[in-house]
Amino acid sequence: MTDPISLLGYRFFQYALLGGSLAALVCALVGLFVILRKESMIGDGVAHISFGGIAIGLFLGINPLLTALVVAILGVLAISYMRRHGLAQSDSAIAVMLAVGFSTGLIFISLSGGFNVDLFSFLFGSILTIGTSDLIIITGLSLVSLAVVGVFYKELLSVTFDEEASRLMGIPVGLLSTVLNVLVAVTIVLSIKVVGMILVAALLVIPGLTALQLDMSFRDTVISAILFGVISVVVGIFASALFNVATSGVIVFALVAFFLIIAVWRRFTRA
Amino acid sequence: MMEKLPVIEVDGVSITRSGSRVIDSASFKLHHGDFVGVVGPNGGGKTTLIKAILGLLPHDSGTIKLFGEPVERFKTWKRIAYVGQDSINFDQSFPLSVRELVSLGRINRENIGHRLSSEDWRRVKEILIFMGINDLAEKRIGQLSGGQKQRVFVAKAMVRDPDVLFLDEPVAGVDPETQERFYMKLSNLSSQKGTTIIDVSHDLSAVFCRMSRVICVNREVNVADIGDEIGFTKALKKVYGDHFHFVFHEHMCEGLFEDDRPD
Repeated sequence: MTDPISLLGYRFFQYALLGGSLAALVCALVGLFVILRKESMIGDGVAHISFGGIAIGLFLGINPLLTALVVAILGVLAISYMRRHGLAQSDSAIAVMLAVGFSTGLIFISLSGGFNVDLFSFLFGSILTIGTSDLIIITGLSLVSLAVVGVFYKELLSVTFDEEASRLMGIPVGLLSTVLNVLVAVTIVLSIKVVGMILVAALLVIPGLTALQLDMSFRDTVISAILFGVISVVVGIFASALFNVATSGVIVFALVAFFLIIAVWRRFTRA
Repeated sequence: MMEKLPVIEVDGVSITRSGSRVIDSASFKLHHGDFVGVVGPNGGGKTTLIKAILGLLPHDSGTIKLFGEPVERFKTWKRIAYVGQDSINFDQSFPLSVRELVSLGRINRENIGHRLSSEDWRRVKEILIFMGINDLAEKRIGQLSGGQKQRVFVAKAMVRDPDVLFLDEPVAGVDPETQERFYMKLSNLSSQKGTTIIDVSHDLSAVFCRMSRVICVNREVNVADIGDEIGFTKALKKVYGDHFHFVFHEHMCEGLFEDDRPD
């Protein structure tokens, strides 16, 4: 078996740890707001929408993360528009855009000659193979997302807790909701390389759900969610390099394990 | 002497909801330091009127002005605080401590995108102490009792240092002693700081003993000064019906004001 410490000397491994941890951090943070707004399905929706963007990128020969970012942002803006103008309820709007994005993806994949290795790396994740340009994109998007949440932390919290009261305090509620949806799009896209499009919603939602079981203040819930997310990703990356198993599978397995351990612990300590 | 500029001006306001008229041509003015009770039967339109004044519900006709500015164009929301009737019916699992919730009350248009200042946190602490909930500061809001939740939401409103405080049944379901202490604090706020307080209440004796004016709402809106017993009774009869009698007796407010003096 490979020595875990010696892995740290490899550039591919350093890239994976850095990119994976950043993605997990942003996912856990943004995901907590998403859960509390009861919009968890938007994560899965945006992941499927971004599939269209990935396929367009592969077809045009542009970095698929960039095209996925554009398509995902357009997708969430369309969802917001449909909701705000009464065209569809939140879940129906997500369902419609999910279908539009996914079918766009299918068309472009068939145009570019069917499924290939590149596509599989986006569907199922391939954090151990990310290159410098992917790492730059992931790092850049993470820092922008963290900055936006950092700057509007109290306003996002206020809007998430009570929209009407926030509106009365002069907070631009509609604008902040759109900002949060765009953040979800960005977060999903930057995490696609880590766990893949199919499992990315897990990285968004499970750390927050685990932390919420601990009945803490918002600040402590944020910190715990981030820890659960980042630790799961680091565990997944090491396990996959050491035992040659699918990284995304181990990451999601670790996320679910934390969730269950806390659930059981809580049940026994409360009984 | 020039008449004081009204804090709230409602002029010929009618409101229709789901096809039926809820408020019919309401007109009144409220001033700096007024402590106003809003009374009337359930479903009479009290909450609708308050929400319309705050611009949360549209009105069909007439004008509503806050500090001389039509509510549609009003921008200085930091002068106003509101505790809604259903504010305590939040998601009980929401991860928020008492201190965090109250601190959100310090948000206004000017500090959007900035961290709360040390002055903000000092005010949060002062209000927690003022409302007697400082020992609950780190507790999660979902774990509080009904009365504690109400005090926390009022603290969130008061921490804004508003010029006008709207309270929609803030002490409904709270034990009489807590209610009494709460009204004492409101009296102080109104008399010492000149805060205009508009309090929707079912407790007519609290309104009579504590407040300076009453707005009676039952589709029709009538305003009376509490000092004016005849006007007060007339306004109450208009909303509750002619069979209604509010019995004034000379001792009814005794004891209520004894501990009122500022510390």
